[in-house]
Amino acid sequence: MDNSICRAYEDEIQSLEEEIKLLTEKYEDNQQESTFFSEEEILMSIKSLQTEFQGESEAHESPSDLKAQLESLETDLSFLMKFTGICFTSHSKKTMEKTRNRTVQKHRLSGNCHSLSFQLEFQLLEVQSKENVSAVVTDLSIIMESGEDSDVSKFVSSTEEHGNLLTFFRSLSSYAEWYEHRRCTFLHFK
Amino acid sequence: GVFAHLEMLEARASAAAVKQEETELQEEKLARLKARVQELRLQRDELRAKVDLQQNRQLGKEGAVSDLAQPSARAVLEWKIKSVKAMLQIFYLTGISGKLTKRGVCFCISTAYEGAYLDSYHLDLCTKPEVQILRHSIPTFIPLERIAKKYLQTDIRRFLSVLSDHLNAYVGRRYQAEQLQEHFSDQIEGTLQRNSLCNLLVFNYNVSSKSKTFPFNVRLLYGDLCCSLPTEVIVSSTPNAPASLAETAAAHSEVFRRVALHKAFHSFRGAERSVA
Repeated sequence: MDNSICRAYEDEIQSLEEEIKLLTEKYEDNQQESTFFSEEEILMSIKSLQTEFQGESEAHESPSDLKAQLESLETDLSFLMKFTGICFTSHSKKTMEKTRNRTVQKHRLSGNCHSLSFQLEFQLLEVQSKENVSAVVTDLSIIMESGEDSDVSKFVSSTEEHGNLLTFFRSLSSYAEWYEHRRCTFLHFK
Repeated sequence: GVFAHLEMLEARASAAAVKQEETELQEEKLARLKARVQELRLQRDELRAKVDLQQNRQLGKEGAVSDLAQPSARAVLEWKIKSVKAMLQIFYLTGISGKLTKRGVCFCISTAYEGAYLDSYHLDLCTKPEVQILRHSIPTFIPLERIAKKYLQTDIRRFLSVLSDHLNAYVGRRYQAEQLQEHFSDQIEGTLQRNSLCNLLVFNYNVSSKSKTFPFNVRLLYGDLCCSLPTEVIVSSTPNAPASLAETAAAHSEVFRRVALHKAFHSFRGAERSVA
């Protein structure tokens, strides 16, 4: 009799710990997704941290670690944008659903590739299985600046229909390069 | 005698003491568990209230108090770090992502079939004195050396783009075969034969005509390694099959040329249903 009570308590403890983990993540996700700080505020924070905690070592990351981490990440990001030609100007996401192995997020992304700008919205479903995480894009919606071009609009609607986000970016990259090359050539002859 | 009796009493007392200790330990354990449950329940309830308050504040609902507290400088930086990490993750969805390393760059090529992201492959490059591949996870049947020889030194972007085309096409072909096996196994006879590059597929499937089923044999050759549609399709029926099936075989052959494998079968199923 006692053993079953023990087990019932242990089961409840496990389920509570999981619920607490999910609630904490939900709170943090919500905080992250509903906040926005401008570049000036970021710079001010970096300065303020450095003067406040000069020489003091804390249990968690020191301010110089945070600054170094941010710099490293931003360097990687600016390298990728320069290398691929794909430049994201804004990104926002909202976690719609989060359980132990399943996350659904709604993303809003805008940017440009060379001179072509785009605005995207899509839903991303991530499922955690034993070996890996699988990702599926659904509800893809694309708005392109040069949307009146019939080739572009055909491409966009076919991409949207099949959720072909990867193909969109790869084609955008090569099309933009070609478009840019053509534009430069025309300018050259003007 | 007396000693035996004393021994028996001693044994009985000792057993009782052990039992007593066991019971006490059990009770202690139960009490600890109960306390832990209550502690966690409290923590969970507090969190639930915190999340509800947060949602009310965001929706501007009644009773919500606006957050007057200024976020700390640390919190602002941590927000920014998370935000940049999220944007780096988005690059994964574009097909080419990576990070700078001490010796150069480590690229990650992601693949997808329509909306489903599939395998990703890594290439660790050193950039000085010349571009070299240090390590990679590209499968051996992808002609990496040939592509590298042609583009790596002169145009890394092109190199990655061509490699990405090969990888995406391979993964796309494999995905179609897997989808076929997963969703249309009732129509497939025997096993699907394919090579590692998934550019040669041979299998048999059943076609019904006038409530009889006949096996068709299909041979698909994907001559263009950057394409996930076949360049050569041979659909054949058995010699004893009725003549009308020759038309069906030709029709199916056309479909296989234009449409992804699993979608082709999906359309066959639909056609059969509408005929029946």
